[in-house]
Amino acid sequence: MKSLFENYGKNTPFSAIAKQLFGKKYERISRSLALCMILFTAVYGAGFRIQVSPAVLFLTAFVFSAGIMWQVLNSSQNGELFMGLFMLPFDNRKMLISYVLAFGSYTLITKTAVVFALFFALSRWGAAEIGAAVLLACAGCLGSAGLYIAAHMGKGVPGKRMDAYIFYQPPASQGKKRRTGRRGGILWYLLRYVTSNKNYLANTAGLWLIACFLPLMLGQFEGLDTLPMGFAILSMNTPICILLSCDPGLEQAVRLLPGQAVRFCGAYGLFIALVNFTESSVYLVSWQAIRGGIGCADILTAAVFAMASAAMSVFLEWRHPIRGWKIENDLWHHLRKYIVPLVMLLAGAWIGM
Amino acid sequence: MNIFTKKSDPSGEAQKLLILKNLSAWYTPEKHVLSDVSLELGSNEVVGLIGLNGAGKTTFIKTISGLLTRFQVETAVWNGRGFSFRDKAFKQARYTVFAEDRSFQYFTFREYISYAAASYGKKLPDLSELIRGFGFEAYTDVLLKELSTGNLKKAYLITAFALRPELLLLDEPVNGLDFQSTEYLYRQINGYRQYGTVLFSSHILESICLTSDRVLVLEQGRISRSFTGQEIQADRIREVLGKHEITF
Repeated sequence: MKSLFENYGKNTPFSAIAKQLFGKKYERISRSLALCMILFTAVYGAGFRIQVSPAVLFLTAFVFSAGIMWQVLNSSQNGELFMGLFMLPFDNRKMLISYVLAFGSYTLITKTAVVFALFFALSRWGAAEIGAAVLLACAGCLGSAGLYIAAHMGKGVPGKRMDAYIFYQPPASQGKKRRTGRRGGILWYLLRYVTSNKNYLANTAGLWLIACFLPLMLGQFEGLDTLPMGFAILSMNTPICILLSCDPGLEQAVRLLPGQAVRFCGAYGLFIALVNFTESSVYLVSWQAIRGGIGCADILTAAVFAMASAAMSVFLEWRHPIRGWKIENDLWHHLRKYIVPLVMLLAGAWIGM
Repeated sequence: MNIFTKKSDPSGEAQKLLILKNLSAWYTPEKHVLSDVSLELGSNEVVGLIGLNGAGKTTFIKTISGLLTRFQVETAVWNGRGFSFRDKAFKQARYTVFAEDRSFQYFTFREYISYAAASYGKKLPDLSELIRGFGFEAYTDVLLKELSTGNLKKAYLITAFALRPELLLLDEPVNGLDFQSTEYLYRQINGYRQYGTVLFSSHILESICLTSDRVLVLEQGRISRSFTGQEIQADRIREVLGKHEITF
C-alpha cells in the first residue's frame, strides 16, 4: 500500500497532502497496519468471541468513518498546515479530488482499519460482509466530504460552485475585541481556550448526553455496583486532557516560566476535575431519576474519581506529552487517551465488587 | 544626539554572571547543533550573538532556557555556583523572548504579564512608559491570538523589560518590529545594563553594533570569533560572516 502511494503522482497535490498526513515516507501507513495486525492477533488469539449482527458492523463502518472524516476536514489547524499548498497555482478539480482522497485514505487506514481489526477478530464474517463494510466505510468518508462541500459552497472564489479553496479555512478572527480582565488566571484561560473551540465543546456536550443514558446501559449488570464504572467512562474527555500536547507554544511557555509544576498543573488539574465532576453530576442526576438510591457516598465517590482522573491526566500531559503528531486528529485518537479511563475502570470495577 | 550610548565596563572586571564550558547540544546524536561552546557573561553587560541561518543561535538560547534535554555541558556556573538550566533559582532569574512564540493565546497582554509576574514572584512596575514606547496602547486588552506577529513580539518584549530579570535572553528580538519600535528596543537594551545582562541573537548587524559590549560569532555550532569595544564594526563582522547573508 505504501508503494501505491509512492507511485501515485509524485509532486502532485495528492502526494503533498498525503505526506503531511502520513509522513515524509508514508511511514504511518505501515505503522497503522502493523497496529491493526497486532490488535487482531491479540484479540483473536485470546479466543474471545461474541455474536455481532452485520447491521452493527455496517452502521459502525459508515458512521465512524463519516464522523472521523468530518472531524479531520473541520480541524482548525488545516488552514495553517496547508496554507503553502493553497498559495501555489493548482488545478481546481485535481485539488478537490486529491484533498478528499488523501483525507479519506487517512481516515480509513489510520482510524477505521483499527475498528475493523477489532470487529473481525471478535466475530466471524464472510467475504461479502467484509467487502460491504469496507465499501460503507468509503461511502461514509465520501458522504462527509460531500456534506462538507455542500456546507461551504459559495465560500470560495465568487461564482465558482465547487472551489477547492473551501478546504482552506483560515482561523476565524473575532476581531480585536477588548477584554476587561486584568489578572491572569489559568482557570479562566482554560475556559476561554475550550469555549473557543467548537470541537471541544461538542465533545463535552456528547459526554453529557452519554451521562444521561449511561444508567440505562450500566444498570444491566447484575450483582455488580456499576455506578463507579460510569464515573470512569466519563473521564474520557479527550480534548480537555490534551491541551498541552496540542499547543506546543503553550507547552514551551509553561516550561519556561518558573514554578509552573504547581501553578499551572494545579489549575489545569482543577479544571479537568471540575469538567469531569460536572459530567458525573449529570450522570448522578440521571441515575437518581432512572434507578434512584443516590446518596452522599456516591457524590463523594464521583468527586474522588473526578480528582483522581484529573491528576493522572495532568501527570501524563506534564511528563509524557504526545509528540510527533501530524494533524490534530492524531491527538484525539492517540492510544494514551485510554490509559486514564482504563485505570479508573479497573478502580470502578474493584469498588463495585 | 546619540541615543545608543553604551555604558559598558571595557576593562572586563565585571563579576562573572554565567560561565559555560564545552556546551554541546543535538537533536539527533549523529549531528551536533552546538559543539563545545564556551561562554562567559559578566554582570550588567550586553552580548550579541550573530551567525548565519542554522548556526545554532536559537538552539543555544533554547538550551540555556532549559527547554532542550539533549545536551551536555562540562561546567555550568551561575553567580559563582554550579547549576542546571532547570534549577528553580536560575529560572527565577532569567526570561526569554523567542523569535517565534504563540503561547498563552487566550490571555490578553495584561493578563499574560500579570500571570508571568506572579510566576516570577514579582510585583509589576508601572508599564505605561514601555507600552507607549513600543506603541502598544491599543492592544493591551486584546487576546494574544488576535495580535499580529509584530505586536505579539512587542507583548513579550514589554514583559521581558518589565520583569527585569538578572539575565535577559532575546532570540531575534528585532524581527517583526516596526522602525520606531526597533529604535525603542535598542534604547531599552542599552539601558538594561543598570538591571542586568542581555544576551541576544540577531541577523541584523545594526542591532548588534548599536547595542553590544561584546559580539560572539556562532558558526556551525561553535563560537568562532568575538569582537569587543572598537572592534564592533559592521564591516569587520560582515567580513567574517560573508556579505550576502547579513542585512544592514
